Amino acid sequence: MSQENIFTLYEKLPTNLKQINPFLDRVFDQLAAHIKDAEQLFKVKLALEEALTNAMRHGNGLKASRKVTVRIAWGDGQIHLDVSDEGKGFNPRTVPDPTQIGYAENIPGGRGIFLMQKMMDRVEFYDGGRGIRMVKKIL
Amino acid sequence: MKPSDSVVGKYKGAFVALDIQINEKEPQVYSLALKGEINTETYALLADQLKNIVPKAKAIIMDMAQVTYISSMGLSTFFRAKIELEARAATIALINVQPSVQLVFDSTKFMGPQLFATLEQADEYLDKFLDGVQKGRIKPKIRPS
Ligand SMILES: Nc1ncnc2c1ncn2[C@@H]1O[C@H](COP(=O)(O)OP(=O)(O)OP(=O)(O)O)[C@@H](O)[C@H]1O
Ligand SMILES: [Mg+2]
Repeated sequence: MSQENIFTLYEKLPTNLKQINPFLDRVFDQLAAHIKDAEQLFKVKLALEEALTNAMRHGNGLKASRKVTVRIAWGDGQIHLDVSDEGKGFNPRTVPDPTQIGYAENIPGGRGIFLMQKMMDRVEFYDGGRGIRMVKKIL
Repeated sequence: MKPSDSVVGKYKGAFVALDIQINEKEPQVYSLALKGEINTETYALLADQLKNIVPKAKAIIMDMAQVTYISSMGLSTFFRAKIELEARAATIALINVQPSVQLVFDSTKFMGPQLFATLEQADEYLDKFLDGVQKGRIKPKIRPS
């Protein structure tokens, strides 16, 4: 693996929904230099946006003083995303499947985690739901 | 899912806002042309505009030709508009959905607004819909609370 095939990022973001997309624009501008497949980039960006939004809204309860920690690592044909918050955590098993009958045609929200699972190859929660790790192969 | 080359993802360094053009085509029938990304930052712009229109609209058509990205906040915004409209026997349709946005709809099996490939098809649907409302065939939709 050559040096230019490596991209890493570690940042602590203050909780502010308005900063998510400028952050993503900055990061994906840089990632675009490494990853040429626009569809893969699109999927990773969407997964990261969903994780950051959840961390700030549900985890940190939109409290500006609480931070969201983001780690991104790309290299060796895989991208790793790790997002953690300073909230109470949650049990992901209790989150309903948004595609089930009764939900899909009636409930406006609750599609973020499902989307992350669709966009990435692997999604796992840790630290009682305060953290989420995702991996995607990008060749 | 669409084949990989069909997604029109582009990453710009600059902040991509959401531009919304609103036109009242006929009384209480609105067409909205959107341009940009519907994301965590911009969805509020759309929600604000819809707040004014949805309570009085019989129908809304949104032209999505220039929307390249949507996240879950955007999905919820469309869904809320649909629910509110259907509760009054009104409707919402999207046209010209781009492959990248279609990918998000498809992967969540999104049952939000009706989708049409062209304005003509959407207009045809709307004519039938509005006729159905007038003749009492289409009634306000009551959802489980
Ligand atoms: N970081 C988190 N901390 C605490 N609870 C969380 C966290 N992430 C998700 N949740 C819980 O899981 C639920 C489902 O999350 P998901 O992202 O799927 O939907 P949503 O955020 O409610 O709506 P959407 O993402 O469609 O706008 C949330 O409503 C919340 O209760
Ligand atoms: Mg969410």
